[in-house]
This record gives sequence, C-alpha cells and structure tokens, in this order.
Amino acid sequence: MSRLRTALSLLLLGSFMLSAQTLERAEALWHAQDFDGARAEFEALLKANPANAEYRVRYGDLFHERFNPDDAKKLYEEALKIDPKNADALLGIAQLLADDFDAKANDYAEKALEANPRLYQAHELMAQMALEDDNSKKAESEADAALAIQPDALNAIAVRASIDLLADKESSPWLAKIANRGKGYETIAHFFVINRRYEEGIQYYRKAIAASPDLWTAHSQLGINLMRLGDEKGARQELQLAYDNHFRDAATANSLTLLDSYKNFDTFRTPTTVLKLQKKESAVLRPYFEEEMKRAMATYEKKYKVVLKDPIQVEVYPDHEDFAVRTMGMPGLGALGVTFNNFIAMDSPSGRTPGSFHWASTLWHEMSHVYVLSLTNDRVPRWFTEGVSVHEETAASPDWGDRLSPEIIAAIRDKKLLPIADIDRGFVHPSYPSQVIVSYYEAGKICDYISERWGESKLLDMIHAFAKNTPTVEVIREQLGMSPEAFDKDFLAMIDKETAKTVAGFPDWTKGVREMNEMAKEGKTDEVIAKGREIEGLYPDYVESGNVYSFVADACLKKDDKACAIAELGRYSKIGGRDPDTIKKYAKLLEDSGRLKDAEAALERLNFIFPVDADLHQRLGSLLLKTGDAPGAVREFQALIAMNPIDAAGSHYNLARAFKAEGRNDQAREEAVSALEVAPDFRPAQKLLLEVTGESGAKSSDGEK
Amino acid sequence: MAAAAEMGCRLKSLLIFLCVAAATPVFASTYILTVSGLGGEPDYEQRFAAMATDMDKLLRAGGQTDRIVETLKGPDATRAKMEAALGRIAAQAKPQDAFVLMLIGHGTFDGTEYKFNLPGPDISAPELAALLNRIPAGRQLVVDMTSASGGAVAALKRANRIVITATKSGTEKNATVFARYWVDALRDPAADVDKNETISALEAFQYAEKKTAQFYTEQKRLATEHPQVDDQPRAAAFPLLKFGSAAAAANDPAKRELVAKKDDIDNKIDALKYQKSLMAPDDYKRQLTALLIELAKAQAAIDK
Repeated sequence: MSRLRTALSLLLLGSFMLSAQTLERAEALWHAQDFDGARAEFEALLKANPANAEYRVRYGDLFHERFNPDDAKKLYEEALKIDPKNADALLGIAQLLADDFDAKANDYAEKALEANPRLYQAHELMAQMALEDDNSKKAESEADAALAIQPDALNAIAVRASIDLLADKESSPWLAKIANRGKGYETIAHFFVINRRYEEGIQYYRKAIAASPDLWTAHSQLGINLMRLGDEKGARQELQLAYDNHFRDAATANSLTLLDSYKNFDTFRTPTTVLKLQKKESAVLRPYFEEEMKRAMATYEKKYKVVLKDPIQVEVYPDHEDFAVRTMGMPGLGALGVTFNNFIAMDSPSGRTPGSFHWASTLWHEMSHVYVLSLTNDRVPRWFTEGVSVHEETAASPDWGDRLSPEIIAAIRDKKLLPIADIDRGFVHPSYPSQVIVSYYEAGKICDYISERWGESKLLDMIHAFAKNTPTVEVIREQLGMSPEAFDKDFLAMIDKETAKTVAGFPDWTKGVREMNEMAKEGKTDEVIAKGREIEGLYPDYVESGNVYSFVADACLKKDDKACAIAELGRYSKIGGRDPDTIKKYAKLLEDSGRLKDAEAALERLNFIFPVDADLHQRLGSLLLKTGDAPGAVREFQALIAMNPIDAAGSHYNLARAFKAEGRNDQAREEAVSALEVAPDFRPAQKLLLEVTGESGAKSSDGEK
Repeated sequence: MAAAAEMGCRLKSLLIFLCVAAATPVFASTYILTVSGLGGEPDYEQRFAAMATDMDKLLRAGGQTDRIVETLKGPDATRAKMEAALGRIAAQAKPQDAFVLMLIGHGTFDGTEYKFNLPGPDISAPELAALLNRIPAGRQLVVDMTSASGGAVAALKRANRIVITATKSGTEKNATVFARYWVDALRDPAADVDKNETISALEAFQYAEKKTAQFYTEQKRLATEHPQVDDQPRAAAFPLLKFGSAAAAANDPAKRELVAKKDDIDNKIDALKYQKSLMAPDDYKRQLTALLIELAKAQAAIDK
C-alpha cells in the first residue's frame, strides 16, 4: 500500500480548499497512526463530497491497510459506481483479490491499466502474481513494464531480485537497487516463503527489518515463519512487537493466541520424532500417532533412500481454528495438514465431524512432503510434492486418500485439467472454487501414472532432478523422455479411459440415486436393491452421505438378508467408506456371522478415521480379546480408559482381562483393583482379582462384561 | 465420570439408608407412564414414537410384576388420555409405591409457563403438577425430555419428586437428543456404573447427559440442551431398571451371616475411600487391594 497520490492531492488543492485541507489532515493522521482520527476525517470528506470517487478509494486504502478488506472492497465498489473507470479503485480491488490468491486479481489489474496505462502498480501486481504462479518470464516482463514507467518502482525491483534469488543465483544486481527500502526485502521474503524456502524467507524478513525497523508487517511475518519452524520464543518476540505497535491483523493476533495455547499441549519426543498433542486427548491419540509416524518413516526411508537429519515434529490441533492460524496467508494449502520443512501441523480427528477426515492418510501425506522437501532442499514445484504426497496416501493403503468427487468429475468432463506445465497455477491462483481440490487429484494421478508407466523409482529420479532447481518442463523432457505436450496427451488419455464410465454415467447415477431414495421411502426394498446394483458401478467411488452401498445394505437388512448387507458394506468399506456408524454396523454383522477377524479389520480401519470414540475401543478391544490378540486388546482398552468412559469399572475390568491374557498379572491386578474401586460389588472383577492374586483355586469364566 | 464415581462413593452412606428405606415395603410397585407427544412433522412423529416403543419394551422385559407400565404415543397421546392414565395411577398407587413419568417430544416455554405439546390441547407444567400431586406414590420421578423442559422444573418440583429435564431452562428451545440417550441408558450395561445390576435414575441421567454432550462435540454443533437433575442423591437411590439376580442371596437366611460380613467389608471400603486424599497412595492401594480381596472372597462364599 505504498501508492502515492500526489497528483490527486494537487488537483484537490486546486478545487476545494476546505476538502483538500481535510484530505491532507486525514492523510496526516493516518501517517501518524491516529487511525480513528483519520477515519473521522474521511467520513467528513465523504459526507461533504458524496460524488468524489477518489476520496472513497483513499479511504478504502486505509481500510485495506488496517485489516478490514470487506469495508475496503465496499468503498472501492462505491467509487466504481461513481466512476466506472477509476483506475485506483480497480487496482484496489485487484490488490484485495491478490491478498486471497484469487486469480481474478489479474483481470482487475488489467482493467486498471486500461483505465490508466501509466499505473505502474498494476504491472507490479501482475508481476507478483505471475511469480507466485512460478511464471518468471511473465513476472519479468510485467516488472520491466512497471520499471519503464517508474524506474525506482520498488515492488518491480523486488520481483526482479526474487526471480534471480529463486533461481539460486548467488546474487542479483537488483538487490542494490532496493538499497535501504525494507519493503523490497519483505517482498523477496514473501516469495521464498510461498516457495516453502522458509529459512531464506526468514533471512530476508530480517534484512527488511534491519533496513526499516518499524516495518511491522515484516516483524509479524518473521514471527509467523519462526513459529512455523519451531522457534516459539523468537516468534513470540516478533509477533508481540508488531502487536504492541498496532499491527494487529488476524494472523498476528491469532498466532499470539496460538502460542499462548501451547501450554495446553503435551510433547512426546523420540530420537526421530516430536509429537505435540493437546493434553485432553494426548493419552488416546499418542499410541496411534506414534505408530503411524514410525511406520511412515520406515516406509519413506526405504523408498526415498534417505534418513532425515532432524526429527519430524507433528502438531495435532483439536480446534480447527488453531490449525487454520498455521496456514494463514498461504496460497491453496490443504485444509487438513500443512508442512513447513520438518514441522507438520494438522487437524486432530476430534477437530472434524466423525467420518469426514482420515487422519492417518493426512499424516502420511504431510510426512511425504518432509522427505521430498528435504531431498530437494525445498526446490520442488508445488504440484510435484503434492502429487507425490497424494500418491503416497493410496500407496499406504488403497482405501486411504480421497475418492473421485463430483467436482473432479465435472472438471474432467469440462476438460478443466491443466497442462503439466501450468498445473501449479491451479494450486496458487485457482480460477474456480474447486480448482485446488481438482489440482490435488490431477497431481496425484500424474504421479500414479508416472509410477505405473516408468516405475516407482522414476518418482525418486524426478525428485533428484527437481533438487537441481530444474523447471517442470525440463524435468519431464529429461526424465520421461517426452515433451510436456506429449505427456499431457498420454496422461489425459489414461484419465479419460479410467473415468469415462463415471463421467458419462454421472447424470444417470444422480437420477438413479434420487429414484432409489424415493423407493426407500416407499419401503420398496427389492427395487432399492435392484436399482442400487444397477447404478453402483457407474460411480463406485461415491461413499459419502446418501451413497448407494448404504441404501442397498439397509434394504438387505430390512429383508433380513445379512449376507447381502455384508457384501454391500464390504464394498463400501473396501472402496474407502468412512462413516463410523456404517462401519460399526458392518463390523457387527461380520461378528454376528462369526467372521471375527474381518470384523476386527473393519473396526481397525476406524482407528485411522475417528479414534476418539469410546464405543469403538470397547468393541474392538473385546473382539481382539476374543481372537486372542491380547496386546491389541490392551491398546484398545487403554485408549478407552483414556477417554474417561461412562463405564469406568467395566473398562478397567476389560483391560485387566487383556493384561491377564497377555500374562501380565501385576498389571491385571492393578486394573481389577481400579474396577473394584469404582464398583466394589462387580463380581466378574472380583473373580478376576482373586485369580490374578492367587487367592482363588478355581478359574473364573472370564466372560466378557 | 471420575467425578461422578467419586460422588457416587460419597453418597453411599445416604444411599444405603435410602435403599433400605425403599426396600422396606416388600410389595411396593412402580407405576411408569411414558408419553411421546406431538412431533409436528413425520420425521419427529416417527422418532418420538419409536423411542416410546423402545422404552416400553425395555420396561416390560423380564416380566417383572412389580412394574406397571403404560405408554401413550402417536394419536393416543392426547391430553385427555394422559389425564385418564394419571388418574388411574392416582387411584391405584400407594404411599410405598414409586411413580415414573417420562415425556418425549417437543415442549414450549413462553417466558412464564412450560407446555408439553400433544395432539390437540397441550398440557402446561402447573396442570401436570396438579395431576401428579394427586398420585400418592411416595417416591416420584419425572423425566421431561422435551425442548424447553427446563422451564417445567419450578412447577413440577416437590419434596418427594425428582425432576430430570433435557434442558437447563425454558429458553433452550431446539429439539433435543437427550431422550435418545436416556433410552440407550436402559439397554446399555455400561450405564450400570457401580455394577449392582440396577440402573438408577442418576446413572441413566449421567449416561444420557454425557452422550448428549458428546453428540454436540462430535457434530461440531453448539450445544442447545444442557440436561439437569434437581436432586442427585435421591436420583442415585431411585432404581429405574433392575436386571440380574443380585437381590436373591440377601433373602436367603442361611447366608445372612456371610452377607453381614460382606456388608461390613463394604463399609470398610467406603471408609477407606473417604480417607484416600489423606493417605499415601501406596498405603491406600495396599489397604484397598486387601479389602477388595476380602470382599471378593466373601462374595464368592455367598455365591457358592
């Protein structure tokens, strides 16, 4: 927000002296950080000059700077109603959109330039957006266009410097032109950060602050990025400094709040991992998270042929808003997890509605990033690291990862998948609401395709190629031996082949689901089953609410045909269905039909989806005890007790049984005592206590509670 | 739950007294009336009726003759039929009997008066209280599981009556889920926290309260109902559903001595628990284990 409107001020001075004095005063108060005073002056100006578009634009600029984009947008739009070709208002809207990484920002910047071809700031904005899209050629030409109009245009200079630095040039002649203007270094830092090169970003934020100590935006960003890399003390210092100096945007204030909340977290360390869990759920989640971290690391070390130097830190947030703070100001980042070098922040399963989130899949996804970022020293395009991560989700287990969603089907149908050379744009500046999701899918499928056609090791070869800071287009040519255009052609042919039935059949499937719904309401069970079987194959990936499998299974159960329901829910589960109630129903049917191991496997899946469920641990623990998996039963009943269950006595008793089955009589005695402390007359626990203390000659029936 | 268990422990002495008092009239009966009111729309109609049906089945299971169960649902759940049912109970019940009224459905509260919504005319809390006051049963329990049910507490409250409501006040007006979990409490053995083969009103309440809170947490919804019970000690001593055969041994003269010994150990355990916070953890655990082993042996001898 460094636009100067000297010309405007002079013009105003020449027209209305009183207004000009008021505008000057508003600007002076703003400059002196008397924001309330400035607002009052602007309000007076607007009242006295309702038809003046420029006053509204400038007032909008104040709101934009003071973290109120909604009011800023309103004022810019009001200005455009008065003067539809007001270049400054168009630029103001472009900047607001660019803050949100909205691709429409470019359109507004172009309109602003049409209205005022000498508005160099519009060129600067377009240069910045192009570089965010990793399009350095366009960024360079837009920056040069700005410099042609205004030779010392700071953002343009910073963009030119960033292009050199991101390409790993040792230095850049443009750096000298920034001189002591901190804002320029801050822009460079921004580009390092959005390319996940956080340490270099931090270095440039420090340079920005050294040049302009009162550049509070840089203090705030420095704090946020220090926090991302685990330097809580440094982060707090910088954020607090910004906050105390009236820089209180959402990211600054929320990050400080988040730092305060860390006292509510437990930290568990091993030589290779750091796990931070909220105290309330740490006992329940710890064994599951630690096990998956260990398993993922063993898999990735083998696959990527590397052992990480530093431990991986995973922070798990039960409050999604806390997690969201970690991703503020970052383009198109996943809504479930985020990785900053070796640091992962993610939602807790308890932070999402049951069945809507596969935490283990997210963990493996993020951990893959850690390896790829480490191997490439952060020189990897966004699409590729995301693609490998998506690929790893289903490689870990076919039912993990995301399914083909209706949005993706529509994108395939409408030929909206991007060419490989441009795919990063879909992540950073999406041009339609679901483009980020579609881009994740596309990137994942590209990696699946490469793995299938050239072998899994080709992905590792590409990682090493990207590590040399080689652009996507060249990596495709070098590693796959074909042009990006030829790759696109082959890849899209594969996608078309794989999805043709679903894309073509989608309208029939939606119609069929509606019909099935009506049939179910009318109690026509045979018709529901027939219709379900007819349309199921058209879109087998759909396992969300209102899925065909559940309809058919319910109809089977209404006919008391359990085998039919089991078969249907088996398909649902295998393809990745995640609704806990449906999976529990499936497990119960399996258990009732004597398929205990299958029931066990069905419930084990739920531990990766929604493990904060006492009923799940109770059921699974009991099954494991029945099938003789005592260590598994111990794990489940310990998780149950950590959840502070309603039936405390029964839970301790079951854990005692599991310990006894494992031959750990001392622990069994402890648990039996805990059960009896709650319910002294609990006979099965009494019998067990006598047995494990050797006070009973006879063996108890050891029946399940 | 730990807090609940602890509270249950501290209440034990009072409970023993109340249980003994309650057990004195050998032929005491429990009259139970369940009413599922107006749903307003098919989904609620179906849900309310299904819960009432489930409740009815659970209460009739086991064929216990000391329990007189009546359920009004759907078009039968009118004010006239409810008044008639309460009138019958008032005519039959004796002071040593117990009475339970369970209301499922929607309720309204206009700031001063609560009404239970029924097909046709509704019934207000004061009108309901007047009907209940005619019932001579010495121990009464009203479980009002409707929206805004907290608004009924003031009118229904009475010295011999426990009032449980799904909401803390009349202003919590959204449809409730508490009833669903109250029914679950009667069929889930986990609700029997002290494992005495009896679900007390307090155990059912605590089960349903916890499940209700869990529902809102898991669904990421702001909780629009906060269940309350107005008299926890009495609710703990109010047996809602009995199962198993725990009581049989106590009536066998040959085992009275053993039962007395067991009761003595029970009392020692209670006394020890009172001392827990004042004792070294290891010492407490050692003494508790010894007493529990002794208790288990005594119970085994009774069961022989």
